[in-house]
Amino acid sequence: MTGKLLSLALRNVLRNRRRTIIAATAIGIGLAAMVFTDGLMIGMSDNLIDSVTDTWLGDAQIHREGFLTTYSPELLVDSAAEVLDRLDRDPRVVASAPRVLAQGTVSSAADLRSVILVGIDPERESRVSRIDDSIVGGEFLREEGGEGILLGSKVAADLEVGLGDRVVVTISQVESGIIYQDMIRVSGIVETGTAAVDESMSFVSAGKAQEMLGLPEDGFQEIAFTLSDRRLAEQADSNFWAGYSRGGNTALGWPDLMAQLDAVLAMSDFSTLIMAVILFGLVAFGIMNAIFMSIYERIFEFGVMKAIGTRAGRIVSLVVLEAAWLAIISIALGSLVGLAATWLVAQQGIDYTGIELSGATFREPVRPVLTLQQFIFYPLWVLLLTALVGLYPAVHAARIRPALAMRRSL
Amino acid sequence: MTGSEGLIVAENVRKTYSDDGVPVEAVRGIDMVIREGEFTAIVGPSGSGKTTFLNLIAGLDSLTQGRVWLAGRALGEMSGRELSDFRRDNIGFVFQAYNLIPVLTAEENIEYIMLLQGRPREERHARVLEILEMVGMKGMENRLPGKLSGGQQQRVAVARAMAAKPAIVLADEPTANLDSTTSGELLDMMRDLNRTTGMTFVFSTHDRIVMERARRIVVMRDGMIAEDSRQPGGPPQ
Ligand SMILES: Nc1ncnc2c1ncn2[C@@H]1O[C@H](COP(=O)(O)OP(=O)(O)OP(=O)(O)O)[C@@H](O)[C@H]1O
Ligand SMILES: [Mg+2]
Repeated sequence: MTGKLLSLALRNVLRNRRRTIIAATAIGIGLAAMVFTDGLMIGMSDNLIDSVTDTWLGDAQIHREGFLTTYSPELLVDSAAEVLDRLDRDPRVVASAPRVLAQGTVSSAADLRSVILVGIDPERESRVSRIDDSIVGGEFLREEGGEGILLGSKVAADLEVGLGDRVVVTISQVESGIIYQDMIRVSGIVETGTAAVDESMSFVSAGKAQEMLGLPEDGFQEIAFTLSDRRLAEQADSNFWAGYSRGGNTALGWPDLMAQLDAVLAMSDFSTLIMAVILFGLVAFGIMNAIFMSIYERIFEFGVMKAIGTRAGRIVSLVVLEAAWLAIISIALGSLVGLAATWLVAQQGIDYTGIELSGATFREPVRPVLTLQQFIFYPLWVLLLTALVGLYPAVHAARIRPALAMRRSL
Repeated sequence: MTGSEGLIVAENVRKTYSDDGVPVEAVRGIDMVIREGEFTAIVGPSGSGKTTFLNLIAGLDSLTQGRVWLAGRALGEMSGRELSDFRRDNIGFVFQAYNLIPVLTAEENIEYIMLLQGRPREERHARVLEILEMVGMKGMENRLPGKLSGGQQQRVAVARAMAAKPAIVLADEPTANLDSTTSGELLDMMRDLNRTTGMTFVFSTHDRIVMERARRIVVMRDGMIAEDSRQPGGPPQ
């Protein structure tokens, strides 16, 4: 009987082909829009996170506790050499780079700018951030004897200096507070597209920075590193983090380091949800409308079915199954359209490059991302919703009174 | 009455509809007994209450007053679901038109009630072939209703009504949409089935050609029985 009922339901759905196709297209477009939006949102947030983590941040960082709120240069990472060694041996970590961070000024004949002076280990840094790939003039710091300075492009422009020009760097030493000045040759210009770097950073070798600040050889304020699986950064409760948060150090993933961006992404997740609710609402009413229309033109038929002994419960099942078939046709259609649209747009990408959002800049065209979940969860939702909203017209059909139905419709 | 007087026993049956608050007395006190094997026509002018009366004795509509027994069971005492199953097992229906489910083939339409009853596939199939032959529609089992003429559709409807071997077949104007030749043929077929199988038939009609073939004619007027006559050659009373 179940098989027969399924087949009867399918035949009823295919009975008015044009209406079924129109309804299925409407529902399918809703589903496709959902798949596409979800893919676009994933693409966007991946793009933003990538641009932030790849450019400078890294997937995670280690600091001495309190450094991120005070930026006091005397708050050094505890046992930095040891920590780096552990990171090197950790299979979940791809690369790590220690950094010296200090507030200072850079001046030229033309002007003076306050900057974050960053001391880097060129070889390690090149594997964590993209500073080495963002050199628009000159060259990246060299391993040995790299005594030059790299200026953010905006800093260089403001100071009206170019390659080979000399600038004066001024900082106050950590222990003594003595003002230290040095004249350094500009050996490269950095342009990442990320304002935080281009407008306010200058880079020297770690050794040079330590010398200027009067820090020991393993005196670093920050260790940035990348993970083999970035999702680990989103799992703040993983014991990975506890493992590196000891001896007064704190290890944090990018969501904590870029709380602003994280909030923006959470907000866009929320708007995806709102969109889903609206789209599914439309889908639900589309289904209900289609089912009601098909019931209204079959009042007489339902009257006959009930007269000859079809129980009300069976009529309910029949109509719900019809709704389910409509959903399945719609899902097939919608998944195909969603897949095609997402794939097509992903080929070109949508160009948001240069647009900045909460400190993150789109560096590459945004490509919507296809995930398996889009083709499991959303269709399942459509199916579930359909069965649910199909129940209303189904009960309506089951309540048809044969005597009345046949009198009215003849 | 006790309900054992015949296959169908109607006692002082009344039905009053409310038409926008105005009461319409469609059936006004009918007493009637239909015995097993009868071939009865209910005739009367339009609006005389034929359909209403048939619906009442089939349990498709509720009585305003009175009692109806079918095969010894009082219809008024059954729940909706019991009544539904009771109709499935005891009454075959033929309506004026659109009897068949359009997406099911002749065979599927005919076996539908047996399917609801949960009868095994072989039994259903054998019965379909047997009954199709009886209604002169052999070889048409795979046709969809849309591919059958009006007369053929009514034959399939009669086949469906009889397939599960109910106690009685009720037909409300089964020939209303047919031309007179086809009407005559359908009625001849039904009368043959009545004769060969002993199946009880009650049908309503406007049509003289149809009426003439009945063995018992009940004439209704204004919701009441005006005349009840038996034709010679009817079954032993
Ligand atoms: N559901 C209803 N509501 C109101 N009035 C009704 C209803 N059903 C039937 N009637 C009225 O009851 C009376 C009897 O109707 P019924 O359909 O039983 O007559 P009929 O003899 O079958 O007529 P016809 O030959 O035209 O089919 C008519 O006056 C009709 O208008
Ligand atoms: Mg009538």
